[in-house]
Amino acid sequence: MTLIVRRAAYRTAMFALALGLVVVIWETYKAVGPTDGGKLLGVRILPRTSEYAMPHVWDMLSRFGRPEVRGSDRTVLASVLAGAWYSFRLSVAGFVLGGAIGVGLAVLMARFKLVQRGVLPYLVVSQTVPLIALAPLVVSWGGKLEVGPFVWPRWLSASILGAFLAFFPVAVGTLRGLAAAPAASVELMQSYAASWWKTLVKLKFPTAVPYMVPAFRLGASASVIGVVVAEISTGLKGGIGRLIIEYAREATGDPAKVYTAIFGAAALGLTMAGVVVAVDVFVMRNRPKESTT
Amino acid sequence: MSAVNIKNVSKAFNEGKANQVDALRDVSLDVKQGEFVSLIGPSGCGKSTLLRLIANLLEPTSGEVTVNGKTAVQARLDQDYGMAFQQAGLFDWRTVRKNIELPLELKGWEKADRRTRADEMLQLVQLPEFGDHYPWQLSGGMQQRIAIARALAAHPPLLLMDEPFGALDEMTREYMQGELLRICAATGTTVVFVTHSIPEAVYLSNRVVVMSPRPGRITKVVDVSLGGDRSEDTRNRTAFFEAITAVREGLRGMHAAHVGLGNDDR
Ligand SMILES: Nc1ncnc2c1ncn2[C@@H]1O[C@H](COP(=O)(O)OP(=O)(O)OP(=O)(O)O)[C@@H](O)[C@H]1O
Ligand SMILES: [Mg+2]
Repeated sequence: MTLIVRRAAYRTAMFALALGLVVVIWETYKAVGPTDGGKLLGVRILPRTSEYAMPHVWDMLSRFGRPEVRGSDRTVLASVLAGAWYSFRLSVAGFVLGGAIGVGLAVLMARFKLVQRGVLPYLVVSQTVPLIALAPLVVSWGGKLEVGPFVWPRWLSASILGAFLAFFPVAVGTLRGLAAAPAASVELMQSYAASWWKTLVKLKFPTAVPYMVPAFRLGASASVIGVVVAEISTGLKGGIGRLIIEYAREATGDPAKVYTAIFGAAALGLTMAGVVVAVDVFVMRNRPKESTT
Repeated sequence: MSAVNIKNVSKAFNEGKANQVDALRDVSLDVKQGEFVSLIGPSGCGKSTLLRLIANLLEPTSGEVTVNGKTAVQARLDQDYGMAFQQAGLFDWRTVRKNIELPLELKGWEKADRRTRADEMLQLVQLPEFGDHYPWQLSGGMQQRIAIARALAAHPPLLLMDEPFGALDEMTREYMQGELLRICAATGTTVVFVTHSIPEAVYLSNRVVVMSPRPGRITKVVDVSLGGDRSEDTRNRTAFFEAITAVREGLRGMHAAHVGLGNDDR
């Protein structure tokens, strides 16, 4: 237990150090870099360091505490938190949906080699479709969908796109994990005349866990990306994606503001990853420690 | 009815391909109910293969295997045997007790019964305080004892063991041999046992089957007339040494024949 705590403390310290380093680099470049950027043969190769392009880190942070619009009593922090929370819930929905589909597909592919040969190439191709192009399509399909009292909510389209990105790493990781059971263990289950289903539950899934955990971690951040991109490209209200566009429009007058929304998106991704890591530590607590890194 | 009947069994891996291996050729063996039979022979002679044929983890290329008067498939489906492999093969994510309970779980035993039996088994292999440990917290020899406990847990009428004591130290090994004999005598369990150790084979067995390599065949069967109740004294008896000599000669004779063959080839 102390080992886990010490490792967590170490990782947090390294994270804080890396963050501090980024701030130092940002501010150093801002101090010494050319205000109008550096040009070589008419091509800009060094970014501008003006207040407009690179606000001070403390300006970004203090912007959180000030009102969102002049005269309002709602701070930027409140808005960003609300937006991040909204997007977080959509991402979780997308992640759960994508995770379930991914695991389901992996089980089908592991069970039927024919399915694996038929489906796997299409899964790979599916991930090459640009999300920006797909987002409006999903929204318009969803808009046409109405089954009885069920009316497709707009947010569901964003979650679907999150799921669309999340299911792939989960499917591939789980498929690899399901194939990882040692031949001797498979034979042992065979010697007990265990059914395919029993073998899956008692042997294959437990051996797959170390492969599934990193896959889920990828899936979680993929879901966040899917949701935020879908929010941006469809203009869905309420989430962090919408805040990024809105604040970016004000960038000329209020350059620090857009960074607050970007911080919000980063915090959202970190939170998702953090949740999965916590689950990881929990499910792997009784496994041999060498094989978990 | 014999516990295991093997009739003219041959096994070839990768049959018809360039890398075909004739692992067993025309092997016949009959094991009576309650009998303890050991298989001994040089590495690669097909001992494990023969055991896996009995377990129905492999299908013979030709010939027939019956277990308890049923086909090998049916015997496996009825879980008529327990098996201990060369490697312990415990599940990392289960506690030691849960590992022992695995075959009972698959047979649909009640939780309380499983626990009682698992604790009995832990006593038997002398690791009663390790029930809540995980396998990777145990030494290799301890893991192997847990694997044996798992194989015995359901009290199967037939035990198939592939070098189960190979990883144990001499003292534990002799203790486990004694315990195995005691359990088998008490429960009337039939055992087919693979080993590399001549004294172990002789001490445990009613019959020792000597095999020759590639293609694996039975070259000699040594009857061990040491009687039913064996103890540490047994290891000092003349009959014990006579049997050891007989097995050794079986193995050596085959070796000589093998060298002779090699010379003819050249
Ligand atoms: N799955 C397989 N595919 C191809 N060849 C195999 C396979 N399993 C075993 N063999 C071959 O069959 C022969 C007998 O193997 P087996 O494992 O039965 O030997 P063994 O007598 O148990 O040896 P050891 O004492 O080293 O355990 C060997 O030559 C081996 O290479
Ligand atoms: Mg072997």
